[in-house]
Amino acid sequence: MKALANMKLTQRIQIVIIPLMVILFAMAGLILNQFSSSRTINNAIHEAFVYIDRLTDLANIVEQKTGPGLSANDIFELKGYFSKPAYQKTDYPALISKNGQYLIHVTRQGGRLPLQTIQDIKLQNAKEGYISYLDVTENKTEQRILVYKYYKPYNAYIAISLSPKETLEQVKVNRRAMILIVVISSLIIALMVYYILKPVSKGLMHLTVRLRQLAQGEIPSHANINDKSELGDLSQSLNRLIDGLKSTTEFARQIEQNHLDFEFKPMSKNDQLGLALLQMRESLKKAYLEEQKRKEEDNIRSWFNAGLAKFGDILRQNNNNLIILADNVIQNLVNYLDANQGGIFMLNDHDSDQYLELLSAFAFNRKKFIQKTIMLGEGLVGTCAVEKQTIYLKEIPQDYIAITSGLGEATPTALLLVPLKLEDKIFGVIEIASFNEFAPHQIEFVEKVGESIATTLNSVKNNLKTQELLEQSQQQREEMAAQEEEMRQNMEEMQATQEEMQRKNLELEIITNAINQSLISLSLTEDGFITDSNTVFQEMTGYSKSEVEGMLLENLINPDEREGFIQLWQTVVNGQSVNTTLHLLGNNNRERFMLTTLSPGFDSMGLLIKILLIGQDVTEAKKLEIMTQQQAKEIEQNLRKLKKEQDISAQRQREMETLLKALDQNCLVTIIEPDGLISYINNKNVEVLGDKKEDIENRYLQDIDYTAKNKPKEFERFWKALQNGKKQTREFSLTVSGKVKWVLENFTPIMDENGQLYKIINIGLDITENKQKEEELNSIIAQLKEQLKK
Amino acid sequence: MAGQRMQVTDQDLQYFVNTIKSVSRYDFSEYSDKSLKRRLQKILEDYNLDLTSLLTNLRIDKDFLEKVVKEVTVNTTELFRDPPVWHLLRSRILPRFKNNKTINIWHAGCSTGQEVYSMMILLNEMEMLDRAKIFATDLNTDVLEAAKLGVYKYRFNLGYLDNFDKVIKQNPLNFEEYNDVPYEKYFDIDKVKDTITMKKFLTERPIFRKHDLVVDGNIFFAKFDLILCRNVIIYFNYTLQNKVFELFHNNLYPKGVLLLGMHETILGPWATRFERLGQAYIKK
Repeated sequence: MKALANMKLTQRIQIVIIPLMVILFAMAGLILNQFSSSRTINNAIHEAFVYIDRLTDLANIVEQKTGPGLSANDIFELKGYFSKPAYQKTDYPALISKNGQYLIHVTRQGGRLPLQTIQDIKLQNAKEGYISYLDVTENKTEQRILVYKYYKPYNAYIAISLSPKETLEQVKVNRRAMILIVVISSLIIALMVYYILKPVSKGLMHLTVRLRQLAQGEIPSHANINDKSELGDLSQSLNRLIDGLKSTTEFARQIEQNHLDFEFKPMSKNDQLGLALLQMRESLKKAYLEEQKRKEEDNIRSWFNAGLAKFGDILRQNNNNLIILADNVIQNLVNYLDANQGGIFMLNDHDSDQYLELLSAFAFNRKKFIQKTIMLGEGLVGTCAVEKQTIYLKEIPQDYIAITSGLGEATPTALLLVPLKLEDKIFGVIEIASFNEFAPHQIEFVEKVGESIATTLNSVKNNLKTQELLEQSQQQREEMAAQEEEMRQNMEEMQATQEEMQRKNLELEIITNAINQSLISLSLTEDGFITDSNTVFQEMTGYSKSEVEGMLLENLINPDEREGFIQLWQTVVNGQSVNTTLHLLGNNNRERFMLTTLSPGFDSMGLLIKILLIGQDVTEAKKLEIMTQQQAKEIEQNLRKLKKEQDISAQRQREMETLLKALDQNCLVTIIEPDGLISYINNKNVEVLGDKKEDIENRYLQDIDYTAKNKPKEFERFWKALQNGKKQTREFSLTVSGKVKWVLENFTPIMDENGQLYKIINIGLDITENKQKEEELNSIIAQLKEQLKK
Repeated sequence: MAGQRMQVTDQDLQYFVNTIKSVSRYDFSEYSDKSLKRRLQKILEDYNLDLTSLLTNLRIDKDFLEKVVKEVTVNTTELFRDPPVWHLLRSRILPRFKNNKTINIWHAGCSTGQEVYSMMILLNEMEMLDRAKIFATDLNTDVLEAAKLGVYKYRFNLGYLDNFDKVIKQNPLNFEEYNDVPYEKYFDIDKVKDTITMKKFLTERPIFRKHDLVVDGNIFFAKFDLILCRNVIIYFNYTLQNKVFELFHNNLYPKGVLLLGMHETILGPWATRFERLGQAYIKK
């Protein structure tokens, strides 16, 4: 069956038709053959009967001749007639007795018919007839037909045994011819079928290929079957289908390429695909338009968002410097909007009167530094700030910008003012002018950015405020720290001061105690009233503390000396300390002498606040003094003598002065005290050696002398000799203003009356000049010696 | 802040003083023990160091040493501090030099210079400024720099103005007298910047030098009519005080005046070499 399923149509037709033909022809042949065989047999039977009839006739003749019944003569006579076959080779006639014994037969004389056959004939009970029987011979059994006729005279059957085989021998030839005819006609039919079906098959093939291609989605070439058969129709329809598909495909392709306006007609009213495509195109068209719209919206949205992001960034940067921030914002905003000019005004609410201040302006890519302030409600900018609403003008009066608006000079066509507001609070105004009109989304964008700017301004303001506060607090902290440090130092100073004072107080206390225990100590007012006294004083005067205090010191003084004391007191009050011995009259007029120091006490202003008296009871000493008044007289005499001597020495002095004057002119004179103190140098010294008077005088020779410094031992010797009254001479040189000076020094110790060293005189001579001066000097020295010895 | 620190002992102080002495020319050995101890304590607390680390740092870091030395010193001063002293100067001391051709004044331990400017203001009011040579020294170079600038905090130092009024505008010896001397004559007050800024004619006049009373002697090749050394010797011990008095005595002209702080006095050997007039000590 599978093989059948795989067969092509022609093959199937062939496989059906050809065997059918063969069967039909074969059956026809078979039937024909059957008919002809039976007729042949019938003909043979009929001919046999005819033959039998003739034999009967002959038998009759013979009978007549020979008498009635069968006799040998009859057999003899008849035998000849029975010796030859009727029509075929073996259909020899026979005379068969009623019991089936061959009475005459060429071969079977004496033989018998099978019993069965005789019975069948008897059964037929007919005078004539035929019967098919099996002829059995020795070696073979053959089906034969026995045609018989009863022949009364003999009481026997004249019969002919026909062999169908032989009979049909003729028919067999016919059969072969017929088979041939069947075969040939079958072949012819097969061929015919083949040739008739071939074009159909081919056409089908042709169409099948295309249909297959179609099935695979390809678009095949046209089918070219042009006959008027069904295939032709089919082909035409197919071609139409192909054309339709082609145009539909093209249409689809055009749609694919977005050529939505491509001309397309559906193949028919019911062209599902075409209509579907058309519908699709409409949908696409609609989708495309929507897409366009969406794209545009997307563009706007992305422009919007990118812008917001960009300005978000800008606002995040630099948000600690308002000016730079505003510059960045307006510059970018003008560029982003493709506008021409722009400005940011910030609401200044630091002070009580609020006004808008131009933070930054941007025009024609060039920043314009224009310091501008606009009052609230003034002009468009001010109005915008007050109304807190966006103002958009498409028609701007000529020179509006320059005059009323805050920006530069050109006159743009569109002007946009957007308030910078945050939660209904105004922070400023953005003004943007452009030569192009602003799209709604641009305006919305500026408003949005405005909010961001307002937020930033708010936070920047807050930041600045916070920073300011921070700085303030930082500063305060630093100041506090500095203050604290200062306080600490103040504390330290106070503490140190206090310690110092404690120390001083302690010291003073010790001193005061010492004074109080050993010395007389009084505090007095400026007027001389005693305000405080110690026990030493009380013991000395014999008055009690209460008696003494409040007393005028003056009243205790011996009346004879009071006047002097009052003068002295005045000196003290004028600010000088005074030492004196006071003669006091104590209780019961006891006489007391007091060695006294009176010191004025001043406050920090230097004003006299009290007078302190420190004293010692020197009564004993004073008494001794009085006792030695005599001695005093002597002393007076001595003093007088001394005076005389002083006079003399004054005389000497004068003389010496004269000498010195002379010396002064020529010599370097230095007067040295016994302890080495240089008490005088003359001008010659200054002249020759360049030493200034004040550099040398009042200094000690041992401190400035060259020898003393460099050869201390030698100096010591030299000095000792002088102390012992030995005159010393030395020479030295030194360079004064580039010139070498030689000086000869003569140190002469001068002794007083008691042989004690009184002064040393150094006479120096500038020996560089000449020797004569040296001699002169010698003579002067000699003279001087004499003078002094006087 | 580290917790309560161990009290600085005499031994610690000794180490500190010796360390500084060994690595620099500063000598604090004759400073007042108690005061120096407190300063050392403060330094240890401020730097949050123990003594060993402090000493190590002092040895290896010269800058640190300078900083510590500066912190050891106490710098308190103000404009016309202790007005009575300025009254004394005005009424009793400065008139002594009225006829001098030059008046040499040395502010020893001038700190941040307020005393120097006070003195110049007073001299100017007494028409003696053009004859005055002002020398000012301190151990601490930081305060010297501040002194040179002559800029002071305003807010914390409002007392300055009171003192100014008391010394310059009023006369305690005569309450009816009132000299309306505007502050702007001598300094600008900026309340916003919180500053008192001395006028240029004042700031450019004095010679400011770094000077250590302990070791430097007289660095000015001049003798002085007036030496102000106020609230300095309180940080010194008795020995050092006497050394300083000797230094001052030697560098004063006869009848020259040494002015000490409010609670400072000369006791001891040098007391007799001066005649006292309030806080002023006049060389005999």
